[in-house]
Amino acid sequence: MENETSKIVPILPVPYSRSRQAGEAQDMLDHIVEDFQDNPQSMQYFYDLFRSVYCHGDEVKHEGKLVGTTCIHAPEELIYAFGATPVRLCNGSYHYDQKGADFMPAKSCSLVKATLGMLNSDNVIPKIGKPDLIVNPTTCDQKKKSSVMMEGMGYSVYDLELPNVKESEAARVYWQRSVRQFAVRLRELTGKKLTRKNLQAAMAKTSRAQVAFRKLHNFRLKSPSLILGKDAFLVTNAYFFDDIERWTDAVEKLNEELAQREQSGFKAVQSKAPRVLFTGSPPIFPNLKLPLLIEEAGGVVVTDETCSSNRMLYDMTAVDEWLVHDMVDSLADKYLKPCTCPIFTRNDDRIRRLLDLVKSYGVDGVVYQAFAGCQVYEMEYRSVADAFNKAGIAMLYVETDYSVDDKGQLSTRIEAFLESLKNRKKHKG
Amino acid sequence: MIRQNNSRLQAIRDAVNQVHFNRFRFWFQLLAFALFVYGGYLAIDFGSRLPFFSCGYNQEGRAGVCYLLPLQHQLSQPWPRLFGFAGIAFLTGLLTFALWFIFLNKGWCGFVCPLGTIQDWLTALRRRMGIRYSSYSHTRFEQLTKVKYILLALMILIPLGIGGGLFSHSMSPPFCLICPARMILPLFTGDVTQFTIDFSSTAALVMTALGISVTALFLVGSFVKKRFFCFFCPMSALHYLISKPALLKLKKDGDKCTRCGDCYTVCDMGIREIADDVTTKNIMTDDCTLCLKCVASCPENGALKATFAGIPIFESTEAGFIKRMNKGNKM
Repeated sequence: MENETSKIVPILPVPYSRSRQAGEAQDMLDHIVEDFQDNPQSMQYFYDLFRSVYCHGDEVKHEGKLVGTTCIHAPEELIYAFGATPVRLCNGSYHYDQKGADFMPAKSCSLVKATLGMLNSDNVIPKIGKPDLIVNPTTCDQKKKSSVMMEGMGYSVYDLELPNVKESEAARVYWQRSVRQFAVRLRELTGKKLTRKNLQAAMAKTSRAQVAFRKLHNFRLKSPSLILGKDAFLVTNAYFFDDIERWTDAVEKLNEELAQREQSGFKAVQSKAPRVLFTGSPPIFPNLKLPLLIEEAGGVVVTDETCSSNRMLYDMTAVDEWLVHDMVDSLADKYLKPCTCPIFTRNDDRIRRLLDLVKSYGVDGVVYQAFAGCQVYEMEYRSVADAFNKAGIAMLYVETDYSVDDKGQLSTRIEAFLESLKNRKKHKG
Repeated sequence: MIRQNNSRLQAIRDAVNQVHFNRFRFWFQLLAFALFVYGGYLAIDFGSRLPFFSCGYNQEGRAGVCYLLPLQHQLSQPWPRLFGFAGIAFLTGLLTFALWFIFLNKGWCGFVCPLGTIQDWLTALRRRMGIRYSSYSHTRFEQLTKVKYILLALMILIPLGIGGGLFSHSMSPPFCLICPARMILPLFTGDVTQFTIDFSSTAALVMTALGISVTALFLVGSFVKKRFFCFFCPMSALHYLISKPALLKLKKDGDKCTRCGDCYTVCDMGIREIADDVTTKNIMTDDCTLCLKCVASCPENGALKATFAGIPIFESTEAGFIKRMNKGNKM
């Protein structure tokens, strides 16, 4: 009789949906959906979308060539105009964060590591397929240095040259030229020509999405809130990979529901719930840890200043003469001038934007997330804190990453912060 | 009742703020052009102290005369007369001009001036042909923006010199002789007599030859560059010097500005401050023609507005922006 233990039992590959990676997404989504009552019905589209893409690993379909972008600075209108589909590669998964740790020094940004980890894995989630081109705008150092690494993984990478300064006219001219060169690269990639017609159609597509976003953004002005921040983040996160037209339809539907909620006097939160402005490093699914903690503790994120939401979709393009050159230059302006990204030398615009959001959204306190290793946000903390101090606005600075280890400690800090906001509110009232 | 009135007022405001601005402005300019270039045939006369180029050389059609013509004539009187009783006429003239001006501020340039309108038509022609416009680099802009003050100074000093006997009378009125409006506007009433070179004296020869060259430059310049001439216009410089008490104003609320540059992108004059300056409230600069395209292209509620005697009459709104800038989307 053969010794049974000598038999080799093969380890069967676990289907994706039962992997730890899917579990991470599943767990986050369960919290987002089930920890709250009265989720808007039209949010179901987004819940289902994330369940299918992140939990089941379903394929994300696209038309034409696929162009991956690593930053909001890559003009998506140009990509659409060439009949290609943009997909934002910035990733929020802890699983990939760990996988990507090999590429970067120990103290680096989770987002960059996760993006590299994702691109380097055999099973890329969201399952978008291999990008035909990755556009890597030269923003922060960690992203800049990723270019070569991505190339090493076998991707074709285009460095979109972004200036470090945005105020000067030289920077504007330089950037406009960069964007025009990018259009040339896209023409090589797709073999199509940029025409007035296809660019205008592409701009209309993005603009329609932006109008829907702005409407949603405006609904969040209401106090007490009609919708929670965790849902709003999920909506804008879906913009990374979802079909733009389907996405816009879904947001328009959500807006209709919010309009009804407004009419019926619906409250998504208690009237006393502290209203929070979220700023800093971008929350990207499944890393919605911090916004979720805020709302589970009884606060409500009413608006944000992050590149996974507001900064990505808010600013709209104006064109004077609808000719290709003028449209491309106007697009370039939109991607540079209003941007409040901390990679620029100075950032008065970010501070002004934050103060304006605090004022118009009736914000009680600010939560500033900085991913450990995201130096630019860490460095800007001081100036932003000073500005809020001067304006008498409370701010909580949270340094964190994609791991869930600090959840307990963070939740204590956030509860204390929200409690202090409530007290301030009471005293003011 | 009050609330009802307020909501009605708000409805009117919303309608104005969402107007198809470029179309409105095109028709307004066309009407103003017709009025000031052909109004004379209907015996309309607004006097000779107008703060824009309603050219006096368009003798039959004009419905009033540009102030620069009488201004230079008055200044070129013999000094004893000018600094004597004629000084009073000069001062009342200046006052009448200022009163006209105060009403619309530089809005006269952006909405009424026939020479400005012609430049916009040339721009439209170029756009239709699909040709791209050119613009100055920022350094060149900073240099050239001073030219209008130099022209203004010359426009005052040369007539004074003529009055003092330093220059020949055939140089009078110096600016009009080189102004493209003198040659172009009479054309619209079939008068080509301004297209001549005066050989009677050296000074006249130089001035009229210069005039023809400037007109040629004007036609080419305004074809390739938006509002080419306004950048050098001495009237524009004069306007700016007395613009403080004007009723129509361009206001900016820097707190609401995201510096997205949409206003700068559409600005015919290429004024950077409109986007980048977030501290100045009264944002009209010396190059501005108050065409208000910036207000129409600003997506932030209330960041830019035109006020008349302190009352907002046209304000930037998100809804207005979306309506105007959405080519290809029906909304």
